[in-house]
Amino acid sequence: MTAAGVHQPVRQAARAPVRSPALGWLRLAYLYLISRRAPAALALLAALGALLWAALHWQWSIAGGPAAKLVIPLTIEAGAAAAVAVTAHGPFGEPERATGRWLPCLRLGAIVALTAAAAGVLAAGAAAGSLPGGFLAMLRNVAGITGIGLLSAAVVGGALAWTGPMAYLVLTETALAGHATTPWVWPARPPHDTGGALCAAGVLAAGTLLVTVRGARESVRD
Amino acid sequence: MTTATDSPVRRLPPPAGGAVALTAARLLWLELRRNTMPWLLPLIAALLWFDSYRPSTGVAPYWVLRTFWNMGQGHTIVDVAPFVAGVAAWMGSRDGRRGTADLLTAAARPRWAVQLATWAATAIWAVGGYLVFVGVMFAVYAYQGARGEPPWWWVAVGAAAVLAFSAAGFALGALYPSRFAAPLAAFGALLAMGTSSQIGFSHTSGWAQILPTNSHGNFQPDSGMLYPWLPDLAIARIMFLAGIAVAALGALGLPAAAGGQRLRRAAGAAALAGVAAAGTAVGLADTARLGPQGLVIPALHDAANDRPIAYTPVCAGAGFRVCLNPYYRTDLAHVTAALAPVVREVAGLPGAPVGAAQTAARYSAGEGQGAQAMTISGHPPVLGMPLGALGLPAASGWAHGVAAGQLRLLFVHAFAGAGSGAGTPAQQAVQAALLRGTGIPFVMQSKLLSSVGLPGSKAALTATGPVYAAARRLAALPPAARDAWLAAHLGALRAGHLTLAQLP
Repeated sequence: MTAAGVHQPVRQAARAPVRSPALGWLRLAYLYLISRRAPAALALLAALGALLWAALHWQWSIAGGPAAKLVIPLTIEAGAAAAVAVTAHGPFGEPERATGRWLPCLRLGAIVALTAAAAGVLAAGAAAGSLPGGFLAMLRNVAGITGIGLLSAAVVGGALAWTGPMAYLVLTETALAGHATTPWVWPARPPHDTGGALCAAGVLAAGTLLVTVRGARESVRD
Repeated sequence: MTTATDSPVRRLPPPAGGAVALTAARLLWLELRRNTMPWLLPLIAALLWFDSYRPSTGVAPYWVLRTFWNMGQGHTIVDVAPFVAGVAAWMGSRDGRRGTADLLTAAARPRWAVQLATWAATAIWAVGGYLVFVGVMFAVYAYQGARGEPPWWWVAVGAAAVLAFSAAGFALGALYPSRFAAPLAAFGALLAMGTSSQIGFSHTSGWAQILPTNSHGNFQPDSGMLYPWLPDLAIARIMFLAGIAVAALGALGLPAAAGGQRLRRAAGAAALAGVAAAGTAVGLADTARLGPQGLVIPALHDAANDRPIAYTPVCAGAGFRVCLNPYYRTDLAHVTAALAPVVREVAGLPGAPVGAAQTAARYSAGEGQGAQAMTISGHPPVLGMPLGALGLPAASGWAHGVAAGQLRLLFVHAFAGAGSGAGTPAQQAVQAALLRGTGIPFVMQSKLLSSVGLPGSKAALTATGPVYAAARRLAALPPAARDAWLAAHLGALRAGHLTLAQLP
C-alpha cells in the first residue's frame, strides 16, 4: 500500500446533472421545504381553513362576551401560526448550518410562503360566515402570532415553537375577558387599529429576522 | 471447532419479580430524566398565576368564591391541559420521529411497556406539577385567610383531566409521529376545552355535567361552609377522565408491533374498559339531579354527605340577636347593622322575629346567581337568612350599601309573608312602605328587587301605579296608626287575603 497520489488535487465529486441555475434553485428550495415538512404544514393549514369554514358556517361560538366569541377563530388562527413556526425546526443541525450558504434565503422564503398560505387558507375559510374583525383582523392576528411562534423557535427550538402561540392565546383570552386595551393584545383591538397592527407587524418582523439569520434553536431536549 | 447442535437449548431463568420491578423503575427514572415536560413547567406556572390565580383575588376570601373561576369553571385545566397534551404528543412521537420504532420492537421489553414508561414519566411530571402549583395557590389562599373548606374533590378532577390529556396527547403522538403532532394535540386540547365551555354554558343539566368546565349546579355557597362539598359529580368526572386515559393508553397496545398476543389482548381489554368507564360516567352524570347541597347522582350518593357541618354560631346584638356561621364572622357586624332599621320598623308587631340566624343556602340551577327568600319560623319567631345565596361580599360588598339594602328587602319580604315570589299587590305595597321606613326611597326599590331576583314591574321602575300609591298612603300614616293597622291585618296580609283597596 502506498501513499502515492495523496498530493494530487482531489477530483471534484460528480455533480448531479443540473440543466439550469433556476432548476437548481427550485430543487434546493424543494429539498429545503421537504426537510421542514412544508407539505404536511400545508395540509394542516388547509385542515384549519376547513375547520374555520365549518365553525363559521355552523356558527360555533362560545357563549359569553367578546372574549368568548373570539375563542374558536383565535384558536384556529393561533394553530395556523404554530404550524408555520414548527416548520422552522431543522433535522440536520450543524452540518446544514456549516454548508448551507443559502440557508437564510431559504428560511425567509419558507416563512413568507407559509405565512401567506396560512392567511390565504384562513381567508378562504372565513368566506363561510362573519369572522369577528374581518380579514384585516385575521391577517394581523395570524401575522403577529406567527411572529411569536418564530421568536419561540429561536429561543426554545422549532420543535416547541408552538408553546409561544399557545401561551399568547391563553394570555389573550384572559386579557380579553379583563377588557385589556394594550396594543400588545392585538386581537382585542379593532381591525384598523394602528397600534395593534404595528405591534403584530413588529413581532413578526423580529421573529422572521431572528429565524432567518440564526435559525431555530437546536439545543432543546428531544 | 464443533457445533453441539444436539444439546438442548438452555432457557434463561425467568427474571424474579424484584428484578422486573427494578428494571421498570430504572426505565421510568431514565424517562423522568429525559422528559421535556419539566422544561415547560415554569411557563405553565406563569400562566396559572396570570389566568387562574390573579382573577380569583378580586372576590372575598371564601374558598367557594376564590376557587369558582379556577376550579369550578376549570381554568386551571384550560391553562395546563393544552401544554400537557402537546408535550405528551411530542414524547409519544419520539420513537417514530427518530426512526427507532422498529429497533424498539426488537428490544427486550415489549414496545407497549416502553411506551407506557415514557407516558408515565410525562404524566408524573404533568400531574405532579399541577398538584404543586395548585397546592401553592391554595396555600396562598389559606395564608390570606380563605374561609370554609377547600374543594379537594375538584382538585382531584383537575389532576384526572391532566392525566387524561397526557394520555390522549401521547396516543396521538405515537400514532402520528410527526413534528406537527404536538401543536395538533395542544390546540386540539384547547379547542376541546373551548367546546366544553360552550356546551357547559348552555347545558345546566344532563350529560353535559360531565364536562370539566361546567360549573352549573355544582359550585355554589355554602359548600364547604355550612355543608360538605358533594363528591358525586366529581367522582363521575374522575371516572370519565380516567376512562379516557385508559382507553387512549390501551389503544397504543393494539398494533401488532406493540407486543405479544397476550399483551395486545390485555391492551384491548383495557381500551374497552376505559371506553366503558367513560360511557358509564356520562350515563351517571345524566342521572344527576339538583339537590339542596349540589348535584346528586343517586348511584354514587352517600347520605353521610348530606349532614350539615356542625358549628357554634357567632352572635351579636343585645335585644335582637344575629347569629352567623363562624366562617361569616367578618360579616356579622355588617349584617346586624343592616337588619337594625327593619327590626325597629317591625318591633312589637305580631310575628316580628326576636332574632336572626343564618341558614344554609340551597343550590339553584345555573351558577347560583340571585338571592333566596328569608323565612320567619319558630316560637319565638326567628328570621332565617340564607346569606350564602346573596353572594354578599362577592357581588357588591358592604361599602356601597347594596348588600345592606338586599338584606332589608328580604327581611321585609319575609315579614309581609310574600314567600319566594313577588307577593300579592297588598304584600308588595306593605313591603314598599316598610322599606321606605328603613330609609330606602321608593324609586330605589326597583333596582333592589331585581338585584335579589324578585320580579318587579314597569311601574316599580318609576315607583308609580296602584301598589306604590297604596304604599305611599301607608307610609304617610303616623307610626302608631300604621302599627295598629298592621297589627290588626298582618294575618290576613300574610295569608294573601288583603287587596290594595283594603289598605288604609
